[in-house]
Amino acid sequence: MSLPTAFEDASFATAPEVLLVDDDEVNLMLTAFALRERGFRIVEASSGEAALELLRDHVPDIVVLDALMPGLDGFDTCRALRVMPGLDTVPVLMLTGLDDDASITRAYRAGATDFFVKAAQWSLLAGRLQYLLRASRTRIELERSKSKLARAQDLARMGSFDWRRNERGVVGGLVLSPEALRVLNLGPQDRADLRTVLRMVPPDDRRSLMRQLQAVGQQSSVLTADVPMVLLDGRKRMLHIEAEPEFNEQGQGAGYTGILQDVTDRRAAEDKILELANFDALTGLPNRRQLIWRAERALEQARRLSHQFAVLLIDLDRFKVINDTLGHGAGDEVLVEVGRRLRGCVRHSDQVMEGALEVTGARSHRALEAIGRLGGDEFLALLPEVADDEDAERVAFRVLEALRQPICVSGQECFVTASVGVALYPRDGHSVVDLLRNSDVAMYSVKAQGKNASAIYSPQLAGQGREKLEMETDLHKAIERNELVLHYQPKVDVRAAAMVGAEALMRWQRGGRLVPPGEFIPLAEDTGLIVPLSEWALREAAKQARVWQQAFGFDDAIAVNLPSRLFERSDLVEHIHQCVTAVSVPHRMIQLEITEDNLMQELQNVIPSLHRLNEIGVEISIDDFGTGYSSLAYLTTLPISELKIDRSFVRDLGITPQSSAVVTAIIALARSLGLRVIAEGVETLRQMDVLHRLGCGVMQGFLFSRAVPSEDLQRWLEQTVLPRKAPWIGVALDGPQGSGGPLVMGRKLRY
Amino acid sequence: MNAEPDNPQLDTAAVARLHDLDPDGRHGVVRRVLTAFEASLERMLVQFTAEQSNGRADVVSGLAHTLKSSSASVGALALAKACAEAEQRLRNAASDDLGAEVLLLTRECKLALAAVRAILQAPL
Repeated sequence: MSLPTAFEDASFATAPEVLLVDDDEVNLMLTAFALRERGFRIVEASSGEAALELLRDHVPDIVVLDALMPGLDGFDTCRALRVMPGLDTVPVLMLTGLDDDASITRAYRAGATDFFVKAAQWSLLAGRLQYLLRASRTRIELERSKSKLARAQDLARMGSFDWRRNERGVVGGLVLSPEALRVLNLGPQDRADLRTVLRMVPPDDRRSLMRQLQAVGQQSSVLTADVPMVLLDGRKRMLHIEAEPEFNEQGQGAGYTGILQDVTDRRAAEDKILELANFDALTGLPNRRQLIWRAERALEQARRLSHQFAVLLIDLDRFKVINDTLGHGAGDEVLVEVGRRLRGCVRHSDQVMEGALEVTGARSHRALEAIGRLGGDEFLALLPEVADDEDAERVAFRVLEALRQPICVSGQECFVTASVGVALYPRDGHSVVDLLRNSDVAMYSVKAQGKNASAIYSPQLAGQGREKLEMETDLHKAIERNELVLHYQPKVDVRAAAMVGAEALMRWQRGGRLVPPGEFIPLAEDTGLIVPLSEWALREAAKQARVWQQAFGFDDAIAVNLPSRLFERSDLVEHIHQCVTAVSVPHRMIQLEITEDNLMQELQNVIPSLHRLNEIGVEISIDDFGTGYSSLAYLTTLPISELKIDRSFVRDLGITPQSSAVVTAIIALARSLGLRVIAEGVETLRQMDVLHRLGCGVMQGFLFSRAVPSEDLQRWLEQTVLPRKAPWIGVALDGPQGSGGPLVMGRKLRY
Repeated sequence: MNAEPDNPQLDTAAVARLHDLDPDGRHGVVRRVLTAFEASLERMLVQFTAEQSNGRADVVSGLAHTLKSSSASVGALALAKACAEAEQRLRNAASDDLGAEVLLLTRECKLALAAVRAILQAPL
């Protein structure tokens, strides 16, 4: 026969232990047998005294006590064990006689958990024991769970509360758990009624909380609220409150039960996350994500309310120069300051927007207005409602004006300008993507036309953009297709009537048209193609030097224009070396020209190359001299050989006294530094005459020859210079000699 | 007062329940219980004799209480019934003749003892 065991409900890991106390040997023996058969472990005691003795060092899972025993009876034993350590919650089953009502009452009073009528029905007894053990286990688990909850609540800075309405004469009110009191920085003894708690809420928030409580209370609905509180010690905390209604038997709301939790840190973290997700960490302005979100909302509103809105793409001009010369830290400072100034150009709203736009009126989209940072040196102004182009242009003008004042970084004044492209909904695009792209097109058109201005998008600009893209594609292939050529313009010593060198100028034969450098060099610089282009030019120039050397004994230098980024390359010297040795001409037959502007911007990065080039015999000429802002102190230390007076001064020679003053100064400077000087853009005999008089004898310009293909240059030499047929030859020779002396190299007569 | 049976016996159902506690007799439960009961009855008889004259009602009532449940358990139903009734009477002070109660209980004890011994002496 198999009997159900006491631990069929797997909640007992081992057989539960029963302390069985009965003075009657027979009963004790029988009950013990019966219970052992049913899976209990039995410890027997034949008297109350013996039982208490056993309990002193051992706690069973349950105690079964015969009520009536000689000596210490079951009631006294029960009372005694209840005060022993660890035994206050052990279940005690009292065995009584069938009609013994008095014993039952006495048993409960003595602290027994339950009673059982003594009988030989062992299964019933075992069942009762199982029930009591399970109840006890459940109680223990509840206790544990309660203390775990309290601990968890403490850790989570959370506590429970109950609130009861006054009902049928019973006074209700708020009861906070000890954990909840701790959340409010109150001790377990502190009184905290609803009024006390509400007083911790700042007045404005209290009013709206009261309204919410009233509304929720009237409908007996769930309460969820984040409530700011100022605790009694002055600390500001954010509490999250969640409560569910409870109902009485009549189904009426009787009160609320819920939790409150200190979510200050979580809210701060959430706010931070929201900020990081929506704002640029450097400038604090809305970031691309937030801007696009706002633009989408502005577009919806504009569509709904049939008005126009504008995006202004603001790109800083030459920001890379600041970053490269002053460092990224300074670049960041500039961006922060630019952000600050731009913010003042619109009715900027910093409100974090996520989810739905709260419509608080027909003009709610005004709150979308903002300046944001799209990334890098690109900013965007979002104008959610504009009447026309002029509205947007006014803001663009404010932007340009705001940047006019220099920005002081790293103790240095920086002039920052911007190019602004404007696109209007719906005219310039029906989606945010289109509007952004078209503002970009407009912005690029400003860049192309010299920067520091604004432009409104037009479809023609987009056409230009396409053209530019095609040109870029073609330029990539120009070298391999042999579409690039070098034209040469002679440098002439007018007194000697001799060519003393040539400047190589790049031309692009594109589809039967000769593209002037002004059209494709900036593009090459933007795209980085300038590097392979320049390298090609150096190779070509070296080859040409060799050809002329063999053809007519050319022994001077061909000057190649290089952008500063070439000088920054560590392999420039090696490359030039390869170019000249490949054709067996000396290094000095290649000269490099760098514009003054370019040189000064990248000065620190370029100087090492200049020195190394100088060492191998490659001379450096400063192009467009006088237009940049050269520090004279630098000039004295730079390894340069030649200054080229900018054509703008030459053009005005003999017209404005200032220009001859500048030219005189440059010549004097060159002379004192031991540099050669050459004037470019000489077109008239009068200019030549003045220059010569002022002491500059080497010139370049249409007066002598345009930049021409190499074979034309040779023909010009043979047919014009050598026969001395050109109009300028006589003039120069006849003109005053005075100051030309040391700057003119008269040894080139054989050309 | 019940008629005395000629051949006193234990209630078969109760004895069967004892057997059920130890179906294959491995633990010798029936014999051990009955032996314990026998010893208990012998002790009781001595105590009843002591209480026969000048005894105390609460002592006799306590003895009856103890004997009541063990005799019921082993199937000495007549003794159990006698104990219950005596206990009841003594506790309610419904009997003023303690000697008669003791006599009655003594007689039932002896009968139960005979029945137990009969079983214990029977071959297994």
